[in-house]
Amino acid sequence: MSATLFGQSVLSGLFSGCLYGLLGLGLTLSWRFLRIINLAHFGLIFLAAYLTYHFVQSRGVSPLLAGAGLVPLFFGLGVAQQWLFIRFRVSELPSVIVTFGLTIIIEALIQWIWSADFVRLETHLVRGSLKIGSLLAPWDELIMGGFAVASCVAVWAYLNFTWAGKALRASLDDPDIAAAFGVPNRRLALVVSGAAAAFAAMGGVFVALLYTLTPSQIYSWLGVVIAVVLLGGLGRPLGVLAAGLLVGVAEAVTMALVEPAWAPIAPFSLLIAVLVLWPERI
Amino acid sequence: MLRVDGLCVSYGDAVALTDVTLAVGDGELLAVIGPNGAGKTTLVNALARLLPIRGGSIRLMGEDVGRLSPRDLAERGVALIPEGRRLFAGMSVEENLEMGCYRKSVRRSREEGLRRVYEIFPILAQRRRQIAGTLSGGQQQMVAIARALMARPKLLLIDEPSLGLAPIIINEVFETIARIHAGGVSILLIEQNASRALEIAQRACVLDCGRLVASGAPAQLQADGEIVAAYLGH
Amino acid sequence: MAAGGASIATTLAAKYSTLLWLAAALVLFAALPLAHPPLFFESFLYLIFFWIALATSWAILSGFTGYVSFGHGAFYGVGMYAMADLGPRLPLPVALLAGGALAALLGICIGAVVFRVRRLRGELFALLTLALAIVLATIVLNTPIDGGPGVFLSDVRPPKIYSNASSTIYLAGASVAIASLAVAWLIQRSKFGRGLFAISDDEDVAEILGVPTFASKLAAIAISSFIAGVIGAVHAVFVSYVTVGETFSISVPLFVLMMSVLGGARRWWGPAIGAILVTTLSYSFVSGDFALAARALIGLTLVLASLFLPEGVAGLVEKARRAWRPTAASQAPAAEPRIAALRPDPARLDTKTPALLEARNVRLAFRGVQALDGVDLIIRQGEILGLVGPNGSGKSTLINVLSGLYKADSGQVILEGRDLSLTPGHLRARLGVARTFQIPRPFARQSVLDNAMIPAMFGASALDSAAARKGAMEALRFVGLAERADAMPAMLNLHQRKFLELARALASDAKLIMLDEVLAGLTPREIADAVDMVRRIHARGATILFVEHNMRAVLELTDRLIVMNRGRLIADGPPHDVVRDPAVVAAYLGAPHAEG
Repeated sequence: MSATLFGQSVLSGLFSGCLYGLLGLGLTLSWRFLRIINLAHFGLIFLAAYLTYHFVQSRGVSPLLAGAGLVPLFFGLGVAQQWLFIRFRVSELPSVIVTFGLTIIIEALIQWIWSADFVRLETHLVRGSLKIGSLLAPWDELIMGGFAVASCVAVWAYLNFTWAGKALRASLDDPDIAAAFGVPNRRLALVVSGAAAAFAAMGGVFVALLYTLTPSQIYSWLGVVIAVVLLGGLGRPLGVLAAGLLVGVAEAVTMALVEPAWAPIAPFSLLIAVLVLWPERI
Repeated sequence: MLRVDGLCVSYGDAVALTDVTLAVGDGELLAVIGPNGAGKTTLVNALARLLPIRGGSIRLMGEDVGRLSPRDLAERGVALIPEGRRLFAGMSVEENLEMGCYRKSVRRSREEGLRRVYEIFPILAQRRRQIAGTLSGGQQQMVAIARALMARPKLLLIDEPSLGLAPIIINEVFETIARIHAGGVSILLIEQNASRALEIAQRACVLDCGRLVASGAPAQLQADGEIVAAYLGH
Repeated sequence: MAAGGASIATTLAAKYSTLLWLAAALVLFAALPLAHPPLFFESFLYLIFFWIALATSWAILSGFTGYVSFGHGAFYGVGMYAMADLGPRLPLPVALLAGGALAALLGICIGAVVFRVRRLRGELFALLTLALAIVLATIVLNTPIDGGPGVFLSDVRPPKIYSNASSTIYLAGASVAIASLAVAWLIQRSKFGRGLFAISDDEDVAEILGVPTFASKLAAIAISSFIAGVIGAVHAVFVSYVTVGETFSISVPLFVLMMSVLGGARRWWGPAIGAILVTTLSYSFVSGDFALAARALIGLTLVLASLFLPEGVAGLVEKARRAWRPTAASQAPAAEPRIAALRPDPARLDTKTPALLEARNVRLAFRGVQALDGVDLIIRQGEILGLVGPNGSGKSTLINVLSGLYKADSGQVILEGRDLSLTPGHLRARLGVARTFQIPRPFARQSVLDNAMIPAMFGASALDSAAARKGAMEALRFVGLAERADAMPAMLNLHQRKFLELARALASDAKLIMLDEVLAGLTPREIADAVDMVRRIHARGATILFVEHNMRAVLELTDRLIVMNRGRLIADGPPHDVVRDPAVVAAYLGAPHAEG
C-alpha cells in the first residue's frame, strides 16, 4: 500500500475521530457531572441530523443557519430532560433503560416522518478540498474538525478557568458543601444537560453534512462513541477528543490494512482492554 | 447575631434534637460540647441549612432563616467549616479557596482574600496548586478554615475541628480559631475535646442526647462537679 | 405403610407443585399440534416460547445477581451459529446441546476474567458485555463462520414427530421455555438463589457473610448462557437462514432487557409475563404503519416502566401480596434476663489463653495515606477486646482487613494458627469470622428474616433452608426483632437496624464477632440495651472485638483494651491502666480520665 493511501487513511481517521470526539463531548459531560448514561444523546444527534437535512434540502436554508436554530432548541430539550430526571430521581442504571426507551421513540418518530430510506444531504458548507502535500482534506471535514477541537478546548477551558466551571466540579465532589458556599447545584445540572444536548445538535448537523442517514444508523454510532467516552475518561473534554482521534485512526488503519468489515474490532477491543486492565481510570 | 429557639430536628422517625435554645452574640465565641452522638453535628448541619428543621426557629441578625436554602444562608454571611473537613478533593488548594468566595457579593475580593489567607497560612501558599485530596489531615483543616475565611463571614460555624488530628496540630488549629475570633468574627464551635474548647470560648453549652443540659461561662461549668464528671472527663 | 408412602408423596407434590404445573403445561402444549391448528398460530406460540426462554435465561444472570448484561445476543448468537455449523453433521438434540455448551463456555470465559475485577459492576459491566457482543459479531462476520452472506440451514432436518416438520421446532421451543422456567424457579428458592439475590443487593456484604460470590456469579452466567445457546440453536432451525445482522442486532439484548424489566427481573415468572405481553403487543400491529407505532409504544413502555415500576409487574404483585397478607404470627420474644454487670476477672484471661486471631505487621496504604502502619495484635479466645482511637486511626480499616473485605499490602492475619492471607472473605465467614458495619448495611430488598438466613446458610454452620430459618428466627428472637421478621429493612429505625447487624453475626454462629461502633447514634437507653446484648452474646461463647468511642461502655464491657493512632497500636493492656497511659491521653482522650 502506498504512503499516500496510508496517509489518506490516517487523515480520514483523524476526521472521523474529531467527529467521535464532538459526539462524545455531550455524553461524557452528562455521564460524569449528572451521573446518568444518556443513550438518548444518540437519538438527539440523529433528530438534529434529520432536521438539518429537512430544512436544508427542502427549504434551502443554509446548514449553519439550521444549526444556529437547532442548538438553542436542543438546549431546551436537554434542560427539560434533566428536569424530569431530577423529579423522578433517576440514577445511573435506570437512566440507561429510560434513555434507551427515549431513543427508540425518537427513532420511530424519525422513521415515521422521513421513512427508513437512505437520505443524503447534497449541500456542502464549502465545496472541494484542501491539498496538503499529496493528501486531500475536504473542506467540510476540516470545518467539522475545527468545530470539534474548538468545542472540546472551550469546554476544557470553561471547566478549569471560569467560576461556573469550578462550581460544577465542586458540586461533583461534595454537593452539600458546595451549596453551603453558594453553588446553585440544580441550576448547574440543568445547564450541563442543556449544553450536552446542544453539542448533540451540533454533532447532528455535521453527521447530516458528512454521512448518509437512515434511522437504524443510531445504533451503529452508539457503540463506538460510548467506547470513545470511556477510553477518554469520564468528563474529560480533551480526553474524549484524544480518544476519538485514537479510535478513528485505529479504525481507519484497520480498514485500510485488513478488510473494512473488521473496523469495529479496533475500538471495542481497545475498550475491553482498558476496562479489564485499568478499570480505575474510568 | 444568632438566636436559636426551641429547635427540633429529626432524621425520619429518629429524633435528633429536642428543644434546643442558644444564642451567639456579636463577636462572641460560643462552644457547644458534649459526648459523641449527642447531636452536635446535627445542630450545625441544621444551622447551616443542610438539614430541615421540624420545629423551633433560627434567627440570624433578627431575620428568620429557618426555611432558607444553604445558598441563601451563605449569601447572608454564614460560613461553614464542616466535620471531617470535606474539601473538594479533586480540586487544587487554590481552587478550594476560590470556592470559598463563590457567592456573588464577595467574588470580587478574590485577590485580596487569597493574599490575606496566604499570610495567615503560608504553607498553603507553597502548596496552592496541590490537589486537596493529597494533603495531610492538618493541612486539610487549614484549607477548610481558610476556605471559610474567604467568604468574609460574619458568623463561622466550626464542626469538630480537632477530629482525627495529632495533638500538636490541634494546638495550631485552636490558636488559629482564637486569632480569627480576635478579628471580630462570631463563632459557634462544636467540639468533643471539651477542655480545649473551653480554653478559648467566652460561653459554652453542653448538649447530651439531643438536649441542652447546661450553659454558662466556662469557669462556671468547670466548677460544677457533676458536669465535670459526666462530660469534661470524657 | 401405603399411607406413609402416600403422605410423603403428597408433601413432595405440594413442595414441588410448581414443577408439576409446568410439566402439565408442557404436555398440553406438546399435544397442540395434534389438533392441527392454523400454522401461524403454532409460529406465534413458538415465538412466545422463544422470548420466554431468552428473557428468563437473561434474568437468571442479570435479574438475580444485578449484573445487567447488554451482551446476551452473544450467547444466543453462538447457539445460532453452532447450529448452522453443526446442525447438518449431528443429530438435532446433540447439536442443540452443543450450541448451549459452546455458549456456556463463552460465558464462563467472560465471567472468569470480568467477575474478578471489582470496579466492573453496574453500568460498566453492561457496556463491557455490549462491546464483547459487537467484537464477536465482527469476528463471525469476517471469518468462515459466516463470512458475510449468511448461512442457510437447508441441510438441517429436524426429526419428524408430528405430521409437520416445523412442529418439532415448536415442541423444542416449548420444551426449552418450560425448562428455563423450571430452572429459574428452582434457583429462586434454593440456597444458591438466595446467594444471588444477596449479591444483587450488596456484593461485598454477601461475600463476608459467607456467600461464595465469584463461584455463584460464574454459575449464574454459565446457566444463563447455556439456555440462551440452546434456544439460539433452536431458533436457527426455525428461521433457517442465519445472518450476522439479524443475529447480533442490538434489538435482541434490548428486547430481553425490556421484557424482564416489565415483568419483573427478580422473579422466575417475571420475564415470561413480559415476554408474553411484548410479543402479543408486537404481533397485534402486523401491518406496516402500525409497526412503527408499536415500536414507539415499546419505547414509551420502557420509559414509563423504569420510572414508575422499577420492579415490574412482579413488584406490583409483591406489594399487593404484602398489603393483603396478615402479619405472620411470631412468638413473643421470651424476656431474656438482664445479665448482671459482672466485672470480668482479669486473672481468668492471661497470656496463656490461646490466641484466636493474630495480626502480624499488617500494612495497608490508600492513595498515599498509610492507613495501617504495621499493626500487631492478638485477640484471645473468649475475651472481649476493646479497640479505641481517634477517627482516621485505622480501626474500621483494620476490621475490613481482618474480615477479608480489603487485602493488606503486607503482613499476616492468622486465625487459630491458619494463615488467612489467601483466604477470601466468604471462606473466613465459613471459618467463623463475623463483623457488623458501623452504618448498617442490610440487604435492602430482602426481609429481616431473609437477611438473617443468609449468614445462617453460608456462615460457619452452613445450614440448609429449614434449619437456617430456625437458626435465623432464634437469632432474631435473641436481639428482640422476631416480631419484625417479615418487615423490610427500610421500615426499621437505626437501633433496630444495628440489632439486625448483630442478629446476622449471631446467626452465622461465628467464633469471632467484630463490632464496629455498634453504639454510635443510639440513645442512652438503647446503649444500655446494646451493651447488655453484647454481654449475652459473649456469654454464649463468642470472642468479641469491640470498637467504640463510648468510653463508659468500653470500660464496663472489655477485658482488655488496645488503642490505635495513625495506623498503629499505641497501648495494650487492662482498660483502666490504658486510659491513664499518657500517650493515650495525649493522642486520644485529651484530659486525664476520671477515676473509676
